[in-house]
Amino acid sequence: MIPVFLGVAILTFGVGNAAGNPIDLIRAGLKYPSPAVLEALTRYYHLDRPVWERFLYWLWDLLHGNLGVSISGRPVLSQIGPWTITTLELQILSLLLAVVIGIPVGVYSSKHQYSKMDYAITTTAIFGYSMPTFWLGIMLIVVFSLDLGWLPSSGAASVSYLWWGNPFLDWLAHLILPTLVLTYVGLATIVRLVRANMLEVMRQDYILAARASGLSERTVTYRYALRNAISPVVTIIGLGFGAALGGAPALETTFSWPGLGYAFTQAALTLDIPLVEGITIIITLMVLIANLITDLAYAFLDPRVTIE
Amino acid sequence: MVEKLLEISNLRTYFFTEAGVVKAVDGISVEVNKGKTIGLVGESGSGKSVTAQSVLRIVPRPGRIVDGSIRFAGEDLLSKSENEMRKLRGPQMAIVFQDPTTSLNPVYTVEKQLTDILMLHKDLTKAEASKTALSLLQHVGIQEPEKRLKAYPHELSGGMKQRIAIARALSCEPTLLFADEPTTNLDVTIQAQVLELLKQLQKEYGMTMVMITHDMGIVADMTERVTVLYAGKVMEVADTHTLFTSPKHPYTEALLKAVPSVKQTRALEVIPGNIPNLIEPPTGCVFHPRCKYAKEICVKSEPALEKVENGHDVACHFWRDLKLEGRGR
Amino acid sequence: MPEERGKRGASQWAVAWRRFKRNKSALIGSAIVVFFVAVALLAPYIAPYPARSYLPLYEGDAGSPPSFKHPFGVEDSGIDVFSETIHGTTNDLYVGLAATLITTLIGVAVGAVAGYFKGAISDVLLGLTQVFFVIPVLLLILLFARVFSVLVFRGLGLTLIVLILSFFGWSSIAFIVRGETLRLKEMEFIQAARALGASSYRILFRHIVPNILSPVIVVATLNIAGFILTEVVVSFLGFGDANTSTWGLLLNEGFSFIRTDWWVSLFPGIAVVVCVLGFNVMGDGLSDALNPRLRE
Repeated sequence: MIPVFLGVAILTFGVGNAAGNPIDLIRAGLKYPSPAVLEALTRYYHLDRPVWERFLYWLWDLLHGNLGVSISGRPVLSQIGPWTITTLELQILSLLLAVVIGIPVGVYSSKHQYSKMDYAITTTAIFGYSMPTFWLGIMLIVVFSLDLGWLPSSGAASVSYLWWGNPFLDWLAHLILPTLVLTYVGLATIVRLVRANMLEVMRQDYILAARASGLSERTVTYRYALRNAISPVVTIIGLGFGAALGGAPALETTFSWPGLGYAFTQAALTLDIPLVEGITIIITLMVLIANLITDLAYAFLDPRVTIE
Repeated sequence: MVEKLLEISNLRTYFFTEAGVVKAVDGISVEVNKGKTIGLVGESGSGKSVTAQSVLRIVPRPGRIVDGSIRFAGEDLLSKSENEMRKLRGPQMAIVFQDPTTSLNPVYTVEKQLTDILMLHKDLTKAEASKTALSLLQHVGIQEPEKRLKAYPHELSGGMKQRIAIARALSCEPTLLFADEPTTNLDVTIQAQVLELLKQLQKEYGMTMVMITHDMGIVADMTERVTVLYAGKVMEVADTHTLFTSPKHPYTEALLKAVPSVKQTRALEVIPGNIPNLIEPPTGCVFHPRCKYAKEICVKSEPALEKVENGHDVACHFWRDLKLEGRGR
Repeated sequence: MPEERGKRGASQWAVAWRRFKRNKSALIGSAIVVFFVAVALLAPYIAPYPARSYLPLYEGDAGSPPSFKHPFGVEDSGIDVFSETIHGTTNDLYVGLAATLITTLIGVAVGAVAGYFKGAISDVLLGLTQVFFVIPVLLLILLFARVFSVLVFRGLGLTLIVLILSFFGWSSIAFIVRGETLRLKEMEFIQAARALGASSYRILFRHIVPNILSPVIVVATLNIAGFILTEVVVSFLGFGDANTSTWGLLLNEGFSFIRTDWWVSLFPGIAVVVCVLGFNVMGDGLSDALNPRLRE
């Protein structure tokens, strides 16, 4: 975990200093920060010190929650909070839906291998991870939002007009399209993986032995087979969550969803270096936590694995 | 009055794979009398395991029983519903599989795997089932059974795992037990122990046992009658003693010659050739490509099972003429 | 003595090829890939307009929907979507293939060394692989792309994009190669080679690498798909090269006009999906062909 964090820190810091120092890089961008902000950033980045000291200072600040000030003058950390929540609500909801729907579908598909339904499911799945997530979003926006007007096309909440009556339903209305897209892509991976693992597991001797002992098909499928097939799926879910977070910029930009991804894109385009660094670190932290949870879950599910 | 417990008649079980139809069992007939141990002998691919799976009707996809009949204690198994079969699996018939490392579920403790079955077939509470499981482990000769009960399969040695697999198979006191190469994956020293255990348990439970193996030594030690299989078909059926002393099928002779003995002075004879392709099996007699006595008729026509004498059948065109070497008992 | 049936070639590649040919979807995938490669190579000859050309504007067709003359429609700026999609094929395939080539070389080298040798070097390599595997790669790619496009005089350019993608994309292959190397290391034929006096490098190149080709080929094929998708995202967000025709750039331009010019977003997107699908399906077919699973 720690090496990963350090690795990201080094890379982020390195790129931020690619022009020699962050201030020059910021100036090369589109925005011209106020002198007060430049002053604050000069202090924050300790520009009077050599590079490696600057890195250590920056790391130290980071670990103490001081992420500096963005070009706009607002402190980075305070902006990140609401963005994180907005991103997480979308990601976690989609993840849950993908898992809850994906696992039974994958099991069904594996038990009806070569059937028409299985073929339909696997084809749909393969389309799911062959397409750019955001493009599906765009297409859905065109159809459901611009053409049919059933759903809002952007944002997480409306300013002037409340969709469907009240704030909660309004939020829900905004949530539908991006969640649909993210869930579909997540489903594609999960269904394929569960199906493949189940096919593998169902061929094992202990499944044959379980049947030979008279256990019901349901017990054999869920308690014996799935229980064995699920561990690698858990790992992939963790990795997938990390990947989804990494893909947040594109998806959130498409829907103007005001989360970390959207903010990252804007910050990177305007070369708001402190903001960019801050968001990268936060997202990395979330990915690391997700992986940690995944590792623990894997060890819990598979008694052959011990936690190191 | 000798009662026939199991009557398999002209069984055909095929696997419908992408590469073609694998005729794993292609017309096998076997009769097993109650209380006896019979052997089902052959190389890998001969159809021995699939036969056992067919009786319990757990042949994995893409396999399917396509023809024949299986009667167990007078009842037709192939006409039973899946629910009815499930009630038989465990209390009436069971299998001990070859590799205990893969036949035990890696994610559950020994206790859970045993109690699952016990609670299903007998009306026991979890506590009662655990106690029964414990005594089962003791019965199969496992030391420190309390500890082993709570263990996971990967924490146990091969011999112990196989004993547990045997305990699992016997947990509901089945009438018929299939032992599918139960010792092949074990160390030689453990092999003898497990075979002794099986013999002892058979006597205790009064089970009828079908010993599936490729090892003629085990056949000699454990069985009373033997059926020799090759490429999904029956080559020869006889009492064990008769089979060993006066085999009538070239394949049987070759199998016997391939077993080394201490008194032997000549070189071991190897059966030339490979296991046949079960998708496109050889024409005529299925053994003809590897048979040193084969003639033209063997390529053209499949020999039917003919009676040599009471209780001894053979499927060979030339059994009357060939003078085959057996082994003195 | 009756004759045995005629024997057919039994090398593992021949067997795999036969299996691959039998797989219908694999063949479809391969056909798609071949189609796109052909389009990429023939682009200058089959595209009605040159890359990034505004000619249709002068022909009075700016912003027009799909028609016989412009099958995919025209952007408001005058760029013909059909031509751009064709030119994009060349560039996107270049990115996908080049990045895959580089990352495969790096990944195999790192993975084989990390798996075969023991000690500090392998530990460091393993650590590096783990780090690069877990990090949110897309974020860093975007960041690097943005910074370099500002700092580098000529703008980002495809080659720089390829390099950035390669820098971050080798870890999956390295992991797999390492795993396979570890497994093969213990096998007897390696020990036999050592017993015959082979040096470590000889063993690595003559014995281990040829045996890891199967999983590497599969992952490399799937990686092509992945790299193309990554490029599309990068360009869509505006972090790519604004002067090079890519599918992502088209989608970026189309997004601003999504209310009026939906065709700019639809057709390039379909191209991406079909192309990536082709590689994915072909990769799956290769995986099935090279990993025997039939019950025999």
